[in-house]
Amino acid sequence: MISRISYALRETAAGFRRNMTLTAAAVLTSAVSLLLVGTTFLIQRAFDNLLVQWRGDVGMIVFVRPDASQEQIAFIEQTLKAQPNVVNVDKLQYLDKVASYEEAKRVFAGDPTTLSLLSVENIPSQFKVVPKSPDPALVRSLADQYRTLPGVQVVSLAEDEFDVIATLSNFVRAVTIGMSLILLTVAVVLIWNTIRTAMFARRREIEVMKLVGATDWFIRIPFMLEGLLQGLIGAVVSCGGLWALNQAWTNGVAGFKAGTGVSSLVVPGSYVSGVMVALLVIGSIAGAIGSGVAATKFLDV
Amino acid sequence: MIRLENVSKMYGTDTLAVRDASFDIAKGEFVFLVGPSGSGKSTLLRLISRQERPERGSVWVAGQNINELAESRVPYLRRTLGNVFQDYKLLPNKTVFENVAFALEVIGQPKHIIRQQVPQVIELVGLAGKEDRFPDQLSGGEQQRVSIARAFVNRPLILLADEPTGNLDPTTGEGIMALLDAINRTGTTIIMATHDHRVVNAMRRRVIQLDRGVMVRDQERGVYE
Repeated sequence: MISRISYALRETAAGFRRNMTLTAAAVLTSAVSLLLVGTTFLIQRAFDNLLVQWRGDVGMIVFVRPDASQEQIAFIEQTLKAQPNVVNVDKLQYLDKVASYEEAKRVFAGDPTTLSLLSVENIPSQFKVVPKSPDPALVRSLADQYRTLPGVQVVSLAEDEFDVIATLSNFVRAVTIGMSLILLTVAVVLIWNTIRTAMFARRREIEVMKLVGATDWFIRIPFMLEGLLQGLIGAVVSCGGLWALNQAWTNGVAGFKAGTGVSSLVVPGSYVSGVMVALLVIGSIAGAIGSGVAATKFLDV
Repeated sequence: MIRLENVSKMYGTDTLAVRDASFDIAKGEFVFLVGPSGSGKSTLLRLISRQERPERGSVWVAGQNINELAESRVPYLRRTLGNVFQDYKLLPNKTVFENVAFALEVIGQPKHIIRQQVPQVIELVGLAGKEDRFPDQLSGGEQQRVSIARAFVNRPLILLADEPTGNLDPTTGEGIMALLDAINRTGTTIIMATHDHRVVNAMRRRVIQLDRGVMVRDQERGVYE
């Protein structure tokens, strides 16, 4: 058993040395494609941070002063529910201070100064309003009405805050997902081709191995390991790239004035680590698929 | 040890490589397959090592019908067979020792077995002292000896040799035949395809003659004709 494992490892290492240029091409392509996959995740997450307040067709948020009394809050709710033609009453949602603070942690992820000023005590609670009427003018006039209610701090409209961003987010998502899928396919094909070339270069050896009674798996495994490693190394490189990219992004965002909304585009480190693990898994799987297909198809030399 | 029953093998749709061949080869026999190029000698060897499967008939090796053998069992069949070729099929980037050791390595034999078996068999084929040479530093006869050592190192029951003297001058060929004879005397069954008159006539062993895929003669202590 030990001799078999050491054989497979030696052959895998030898395969890398024998075929440097093609291996480098395969590794770099998987690195670039995986970096793009990772960036897609991060961009998505950044936009999500920005839009988290508005998730679920929320069209208007009524922020309630932190010092508003229970009666005032109840009165605001009543007023909202009194407009069933404009306000979707079933979807009306009230976020108390605790829930609002949790949300703020994401919105102000890149703006620790602002976040540190907030607490469960001083944060406004909020009513999230899903409009029923498609007429924006009607919603806007309603918002003007609510601004005057006692206890209301501010009323924000989705239109003003994020329509452009939402459109941009969808566009960027489509482009990056499309490009990473194409590049990932290219990486798999390149790994497949590298392994095919490696097997062709060693067809005499494979022929002898088959004649002296080596099993197919014994012949195949070093090639499959080689492809898997190419994917994995590509993934490691892409993780480095992703980390550097996120670092630069976070530092860049810190330079913006607080309160411009850009700060919510920062992605927390824990999320980046999760994406990195995903990249390592995707890279290994892509490598194993490419080389596995090649090692099965070209075994009959 | 080997039995063919009414074996026919087609190439393409209309070429018959082997037609209705039947014979029995006992353990320890030395058999020549003779006939001109294209008469089906190599095909018979390939049928026995299951590199080919017949359209009709059955091939028995060491008591099992190898046509019915699952694909995953074929490697284990091959471990009971040694193959020697006209063009040696040595790996040019490996030394004599490594070429022979390769046959044990790829069937998962541990290092201590390899260190024990390989020098023995290299000495048996008369190449002691040349373990570290590469194939291109050896003569044709020496390369064929390496190939025989590789085929024999696993102590197979059967040795299949396809024109092993085909690329060699007569004197060198005689040396190879002496070596095969010695291996045969250890109890290994040998089937050798050849169209070399001299070696067949000198050895006086069983001769199976083929002509365009048909067995035309099966004779004990035969000559080439």
